[in-house]
Amino acid sequence: MTRIEAIIQPSRFEAVKTALHEIGIEGMTVSEVRGHGRQKGHTETYRGREYEVDLLPKVKIEMVLPYNLVDSAIQTILKHAKTGKIGDGKIFISKIDEAIRIRDEERGEAAL
Amino acid sequence: MTSLRDSCAAESARIEREFEAASDGRRAIQARAAQMDQIVVELTHTLLAPDITRVCLVAIGGYGRQALFPFSDIDLLFVCEDAATLKRYRDPLRNIAQVLWDLRLKLSPAYRLVSECEAFSRDNPEFAVSLLDQRYLAGDPRLFSRLHQEALPRLLARSRSDLLRDISHLTRQRHAKEGHTIFHLEPNLKNSPGGLRDYHTACWVAMLSHPDRIADWAAPENFWPQQRREEMRQAFDFLAAARCFLHYRQGRDDNGLSYELQAAAAGRGIGVEAGRPLEPADWMRIYFRHARAIYSLSTQLLDEALPVPVTLLSRFAGWRARRSHPETSVAGGRLVLNQPELVRDLSRLLSLFLSIAQNGLKLSREAEEQISRALPAAVESGARVPGLWEPLRQILLAPHAPSALRAMHSSGLLVRLFPEFAVIDSLVIRDFYHHYTVDAHSFIAIENIHRLRQAQHDWERPFSAIFSELEQPELLFLSLLFHDVGKGMPCDDHVAGGLQAVEGVFQRLGLEAEEADTVRFLIREHLQMSVNLLRRDIFDPETIRAFAEKVGSPERLKLLTLFTYADIRAVNPEALTPWKAESLFQFYVSTANYMSRSLDEERFHAAAQDQHIQRILSVLAKSATQPDTRPETQHDLTAFLEGLPRRYVLAHTPEEIAIHFQMVQQLKKSDVQLRLSKREHWYRLILVTTDRPFLFAGISGVLAAWGMNIWKAEAFGNAAGIVVDTFHFTDPHRTLELNPSELQRLEQNIAAVVSGKTPLEELMRGRAASQALRPPKISVATEVRFDDSSSSHSTLLEIVTQDRPGLLYHLSSAFAHTGCNIEVALIDTEGQRAVDAFYLTVQGRKLSLEHQQKLRDVLLAGA
Repeated sequence: MTRIEAIIQPSRFEAVKTALHEIGIEGMTVSEVRGHGRQKGHTETYRGREYEVDLLPKVKIEMVLPYNLVDSAIQTILKHAKTGKIGDGKIFISKIDEAIRIRDEERGEAAL
Repeated sequence: MTSLRDSCAAESARIEREFEAASDGRRAIQARAAQMDQIVVELTHTLLAPDITRVCLVAIGGYGRQALFPFSDIDLLFVCEDAATLKRYRDPLRNIAQVLWDLRLKLSPAYRLVSECEAFSRDNPEFAVSLLDQRYLAGDPRLFSRLHQEALPRLLARSRSDLLRDISHLTRQRHAKEGHTIFHLEPNLKNSPGGLRDYHTACWVAMLSHPDRIADWAAPENFWPQQRREEMRQAFDFLAAARCFLHYRQGRDDNGLSYELQAAAAGRGIGVEAGRPLEPADWMRIYFRHARAIYSLSTQLLDEALPVPVTLLSRFAGWRARRSHPETSVAGGRLVLNQPELVRDLSRLLSLFLSIAQNGLKLSREAEEQISRALPAAVESGARVPGLWEPLRQILLAPHAPSALRAMHSSGLLVRLFPEFAVIDSLVIRDFYHHYTVDAHSFIAIENIHRLRQAQHDWERPFSAIFSELEQPELLFLSLLFHDVGKGMPCDDHVAGGLQAVEGVFQRLGLEAEEADTVRFLIREHLQMSVNLLRRDIFDPETIRAFAEKVGSPERLKLLTLFTYADIRAVNPEALTPWKAESLFQFYVSTANYMSRSLDEERFHAAAQDQHIQRILSVLAKSATQPDTRPETQHDLTAFLEGLPRRYVLAHTPEEIAIHFQMVQQLKKSDVQLRLSKREHWYRLILVTTDRPFLFAGISGVLAAWGMNIWKAEAFGNAAGIVVDTFHFTDPHRTLELNPSELQRLEQNIAAVVSGKTPLEELMRGRAASQALRPPKISVATEVRFDDSSSSHSTLLEIVTQDRPGLLYHLSSAFAHTGCNIEVALIDTEGQRAVDAFYLTVQGRKLSLEHQQKLRDVLLAGA
């Protein structure tokens, strides 16, 4: 099993979610987050006050998938989250040792 | 044990079958309580003794009321005479509990000495509440009699007030969690406002409100007002049937009425006469009717028994309500009508609701019914009521407007005045996000804006600041009230439906064209900011440009931002996260900055914008006072618009531009054209003339000399050197209001100064002395910022400083004295802060760095 954590532009979230559903990936955890990579932020002046926009809004999608779905999920995220501009986000991939469904204590891929 | 389990299962199945056949919830819960009684009595006889003394078993809570829902907990109290008896019988009593557990019954046992039942524990008020519904089951009847006739009356005599306070606190806390509304799309039959918990709250409060009758243990329903008992009985029967249905369907104590279960219950006609199948939306309307009856009585009884803490302010509110409406009085925190016949007069009725909007008092149920009955005499449905906008405007602006609107809706007045609203009455729209019915969503959205007056969180404060700057907040409230009526109309696009419906509202209210246009704009574009936040990169300059273009003016941007804030927040309590709110504000800031910084750069070129020209020509041709269809008009209009900032064309309606154009045409007769008009609480001066030095300074100087307070101004110029300046000002000394003839003299003064016939200095004499008398309430540090990148041929100067009389005159004089020409100006005021932007040139070019420094020094010295 593999955990995929994708941090993407909020404006691309709907497209990514729909595309993931279309390839059969329904389960995901989504969070509203703020942050920056090399993109950094900027300062806005509004009505004489300065607003630090140094942490930009992003959406974080997390999912744990069986191995056979990992590649297609990554390709789908890349295809739909990419605009080619700085700030498109990142995908982090890591291995998962075990998954347990709390309700019936089923384990492994069957619990996903 | 096996036979007991079998007989228990058989009886449970029989009760369920009977419910399946008749959908009689009341009968099912009584049958289940009777079934438990039999089991408990049998176990007591078997495991203790039929004639045991000093111990008794008591049903409490729902079980005590003989209202045991299929999967509800069974509250059982084991009462002992003294500690020794409790010690002696502890194991046999636990055995009874164990057997009930083994029967898979959800038992909540409690073990108490009879003396302990007299003590009120602040940590566990729920236990004292459950004792209010106590019922003898088995054991020593004399011990029960002591509990029933001595211990509990003593508890209530001592702690009745504490108990009432705790019930009130827990109820208000529960209602607050649910947004104080019954109109949830997926309500909880037990805990939502208007649910079964509220029904029982009405029972407990009624009982505790009659201390002299507590020892009688009469049915609490007998203490309710006679005329409310039947509707409460019907409401209970409906909810009991629906809750039994949910329990059997889910196989557990699950009281959430999800969409799926609503459809199933409606299809089975649960709680409906003769089990007639209904559409889910119609079935939910019945639910809301019953929930409204329960919510209304329970909150009314709570208000009467334990009014919200009386403060000096609320005493004053009650006194003020009585003074302005001697035909009303306040009883138990609710407005009561002393002379119900008077509300047949619509103006009195509206003024009553205005009083509610100002003071936050609620209508008593009886008053609500009296108003409902008086409505046919007060107003014909959908009739045009002359002057209706003014009282409605005042209601919308008052701090408790949502309470007044809800009361107007409950009594039927809102739908009577605006039949368009009827289609969203208790309307359930099924989606994953919305928690409230469409009408409730609209009221909550309005409430969200009013709450900005006292922002609770840091992320709310920027929106509070925007709210305080609005010119006509009433237009925002009116738009929120009607923005979703299209959802109840037979059309695919609810926005288009809403726009269609709202035209009738405009006609009935007699809204001015400009006001109606703003409301149309807000309803038409009310999803735009959400769509941009969700689907566009709000940091992309192209997104900002396209959005700013669609919005047109900073005022509309403010309105739309607040609309979006209120609308998202009214979807459900968690919908507007701080993350979304911050993103919304960032989007607002970027767009507002784009609007002011692109102002000078983006100019209107008539040849490429023919559709604007045609729209204005059409307005001119239809002008009621002076229809203009001359062939040369198009040429003249094109010449007027050429080179004006695009913002001018986007921010003004074709009707406004047509007026400016007519003023331009009059320049041949007189080279200064003025139009001065009174708005709600302020004045607007439009001046059209040819550009000249000291023009802006001259007008602001005259207004300052007259003691007027300019809070907003704009100056636009076209390629031919014609300027259109607009000043919005208030009259703090009420000079113009008390002396209407002075309006004409002010116009003459301005024309004389602008045309150079009267020196401004003459008028300005004497101002310095009066200014010195008024020190500012708060101090605002002056900030001066130059920006050479926003325009290719002007320098943008942004200045934030202390607002004060004559400020604009001093600033524009400083520009004139340092040789600067104002190309475009935008003046705004935020409380005590003046926030101004000027695009300046010196001899047609940007300001050099030296010139900027010189001007900065002059401005800072003057501050």
